Amino acid sequence: MTISPDDDFAAAEYALGTLPPAERAALAARRLREPELDEAIRAWEARLAPLAEAAPEIEPPRDLLPAIEARIRGASPGAPGDAAMVALRRSLSRWRAGAIAASVLAALLATGFVFRETSRPPPLPREYVAILQKDAASPAIEVTVNLDKQELTARPVAASAPTGKSYELWIIDAKLGAPRSLGVIGVTPRAANLSAYDPSVVQNATYAVTVEPPGGSPDGKPSGPPVFVGKLIPIEP
Amino acid sequence: MTIRGAAAGGQAPAGAGDDLTRLLGRIASRDAAAFAALYNQTNPKLYGIVARILSRGDAAADVVQEAYVRIWEKAGEFDPRKGSPLAWMATIARNRALDEVRRIRPASLEDQPVSFEPAADEVDPLAARERSEGLASLIKCLQGLDEEKRAIVLLAYYHGLSREALAKRFGRPVATIKTWLHRSLAELRDCLAS
Repeated sequence: MTISPDDDFAAAEYALGTLPPAERAALAARRLREPELDEAIRAWEARLAPLAEAAPEIEPPRDLLPAIEARIRGASPGAPGDAAMVALRRSLSRWRAGAIAASVLAALLATGFVFRETSRPPPLPREYVAILQKDAASPAIEVTVNLDKQELTARPVAASAPTGKSYELWIIDAKLGAPRSLGVIGVTPRAANLSAYDPSVVQNATYAVTVEPPGGSPDGKPSGPPVFVGKLIPIEP
Repeated sequence: MTIRGAAAGGQAPAGAGDDLTRLLGRIASRDAAAFAALYNQTNPKLYGIVARILSRGDAAADVVQEAYVRIWEKAGEFDPRKGSPLAWMATIARNRALDEVRRIRPASLEDQPVSFEPAADEVDPLAARERSEGLASLIKCLQGLDEEKRAIVLLAYYHGLSREALAKRFGRPVATIKTWLHRSLAELRDCLAS
């Protein structure tokens, strides 16, 4: 093991849960880039995991199974509305011309450039889109968000995960601490439920895609650096 | 449905791990009935783990939901050679709960739940009658720690107490708690490796 003693203590406290929020978030970010640190955290989780056996059961306040099953079904193919997708694609094609790097779009938005053509008093945007990609010419993952439905849909655009691997989508925001998984991206679009997230977090978060083992990260943490990344921008109502 | 089948009564019977391993295998091939059976056998356990860390009931229910969605997504990656199915599921649920309770919030630090006092139902794994091999080894090593240091590790594990909350509870500076944690964890690591 080449990890420093300090890092091993940090890994131990991460697994135990005693790291203060900022240190926990920092370590969660570092483990993405440092496989040895990641391995140390997993080792500590494994050392402590038998304690879970001794945790007494508590009956949940309500039956959660139907809600969980609904979320799982929502992850199945065919969920998103096709009409909405057509509208989104139309909006998208306009932006694609201008190279869709998220920072560029953010800059355009900041100057109010993109949607001045719609002159009606603007209702608060409820639909957002992000194109996650490395550069304008590369394949991408298209992410759309409907805040009313609290739903996110991700679909690959000429992108496919390496053979035997899965793409996994993450929402990253300082308010969330560690990156949170939004699930594995299949060849067909899937909808993820966003009700666990504050709308302001959903709007301002960074979305990133990592390459993971089939089915996604084994431990709920990105196991490598993001291959696609981007931020949401609103689309016209 | 709240029928919990074999796990009713709290103590998982011998062979429950094999049963859960088989269910996870079926879930990996997208067997929804197996998922419902797994949920029914394990949800009070996972809720028990999460609810001791998150004092807000609705937050605990949300985190348990997220954990099960993840278990559905990841079932194919469970490796029985690396631990019991319950330990694997518990780690997923516990990590979710810790992310929630250690979330960086926009509000000030005063809002952190540092004053949270665990309820009277403090968990004592040393009292567990049924012990897997892994738990038995860990208990043996925990018994090697001073009582106070063992209590700190267990309060952190089961109740998600932060360094600050532990410092308040034991009337020690945070730096002392940190040192104790490091010593205790190093002792546990060395003991488990021996």
